[in-house]
Amino acid sequence: MNTQKWLLKREYWEHKGGFFWAPIVISGIITLFTIGSLIIASVIGKNSGMHFGGNSEMNLQVALSKVTEPDKIEFAQGLANGYPLIGVPIIIAMVFVVFFYCLSALFDDRKDRSILFWKSLPISDKDTVISKVITASLVAPIISSVAVLVLSLLNLFVFMIIVAFHGLNLFGYVLSDADFYLTAVKFLSMIPIYALWALPTIAYLLFVSSWAKTKPFLWAVGVPVLGGVIISWMNAMMGFGIDMSSFWKFISLRWFGSIVPGTWFANSNGANLSDKGDGFSELLMQSYQQLAHMNIWIGLVIGVALIFAAIQMRRYRDEG
Amino acid sequence: MSGVLTAKGLNKKYGPQLAIDHINLDIQPGRIIGLIGPNGSGKTTTLKAALGLIPFEGELRVLGFDPRTQRDELMQEVCFIADVAVLPRWIRVSEVLDFVEGTHPKFSRQKAKDYLAKTKLKPDMKVKQMSKGMIVQLHLAIVMSIDAKLLVLDEPTLGLDIMYRKQFYQNLLEEYFDENKTIIVTTHQVEEIENILTDLIFIQDGKITLNTTMDEIGERFTEVMVNSENYQAAKSLNPIDERSVFGKTVFLFDGVGRETLKTLGDLKTPGIADLFVATMKGTYA
Repeated sequence: MNTQKWLLKREYWEHKGGFFWAPIVISGIITLFTIGSLIIASVIGKNSGMHFGGNSEMNLQVALSKVTEPDKIEFAQGLANGYPLIGVPIIIAMVFVVFFYCLSALFDDRKDRSILFWKSLPISDKDTVISKVITASLVAPIISSVAVLVLSLLNLFVFMIIVAFHGLNLFGYVLSDADFYLTAVKFLSMIPIYALWALPTIAYLLFVSSWAKTKPFLWAVGVPVLGGVIISWMNAMMGFGIDMSSFWKFISLRWFGSIVPGTWFANSNGANLSDKGDGFSELLMQSYQQLAHMNIWIGLVIGVALIFAAIQMRRYRDEG
Repeated sequence: MSGVLTAKGLNKKYGPQLAIDHINLDIQPGRIIGLIGPNGSGKTTTLKAALGLIPFEGELRVLGFDPRTQRDELMQEVCFIADVAVLPRWIRVSEVLDFVEGTHPKFSRQKAKDYLAKTKLKPDMKVKQMSKGMIVQLHLAIVMSIDAKLLVLDEPTLGLDIMYRKQFYQNLLEEYFDENKTIIVTTHQVEEIENILTDLIFIQDGKITLNTTMDEIGERFTEVMVNSENYQAAKSLNPIDERSVFGKTVFLFDGVGRETLKTLGDLKTPGIADLFVATMKGTYA
């Protein structure tokens, strides 16, 4: 039985708005914005050229056609390595979607009692919870990453077509750059690290979602924050000498922040993010170096324990 | 032969409150059992225990499985509608059929389609667009299309109008039920299920107060309509209940022979509702 396939489909049906439509709408807005600004730029470029010198030769067209060969190569390299960056808003949206998805995933159906319908089907609570973990840690990032690549390639080509009309043809330079193809592969290769790094936070949110009787958001955020406040207070009153700044750093960057892609870079001690021209290579390298740190593995162990706890909650919580 | 559902000393506490008080049960296959009790009597708790939805104490086997540890296996053979269950509001008719077809090996999509064809439900309708009655229709269509060994219905027709309620119970009897299946049903509309039941269980304050077959009820319980001159004679036979109707008194007897009672007035087999009221009154007195 491919129960898991249907469970994943179920999650997708329910949250199509966040997982599917949100990236599309954001992509649409960004693309319109790109096209709009390029058109405005070319119109202004043309007009100002005519308007100013009366010399229509000195317009954008001329300016672009005078770009030197080394500049073209460098510019093309930048494009070939950095084009996914335009999709950052999609990734930011995904973080919010995943956060609230996890908090509601094991709560909403208890609240509206549809859990009793799901539980009337021959599906184990383990499979149900796992489908939600997979949705948050893999399905959402995969959909978002594909959306980022589609959006950024679309915008790259729109950009290159428009500047080509103005005499700057970059197609050859970009398409012949091996990095152009590798960038997409490198970008997608971040997903496994993201899934592993984000797992404890996803599991924590799912656990709160399976446990809270009301207001999972308040519980999820309130408990660690309140805990921190109490510890700082005791710290101040009794002088425990606990370093609170590292506590808050841990809460913001690891406890919650792990569902933000790239927060693992904060963990790479001393490794400097050099801005060499090879863009994603450096990032990817550092991402996979995380596997050598204990941090990611400790997080995984805690994540798995919390998932197990969420399954037990789901199994025995009385919804009377 | 092990029964469909056997309980020995089944016990469930909510805090200090005893919801189920050491219940013993043995339900055989091929029966339709009415589980009747007032609100808070423990009937829903008993069903939840049997469906592995809550932890409990004591011994309970459903189709040979322990609902606490073997729920996943059990749910292949059992289907249920809980009294407060609803279908998720976001789902479409076609999606819920796809999902159940994909996850339940004993679901017949064709059957579900046949049931739905008799309703106003359309495949692309979402649950949130449906009336309460339509949601129940969809839920019942799904459950009736699953070939389960045990079907548990807790207030299944709540919110349905009388036309559809009658039709549902008729379908249940004619198209769904057979000698390999067992149905446990609870409802407040006792009169509607009276003629489809084979067995009757009364439950009150977590205890079973009556557990009998419908055939036995006819033999055991008799209602007699008595004129005022026979009042004292009837009263001396220890009726379990009496009520006045049009100047006459209707007595309910448990285990008094029909030959004896015949001399007092007209005999009748009592309805479940009357029997229920009488038993409940008895324990409160």
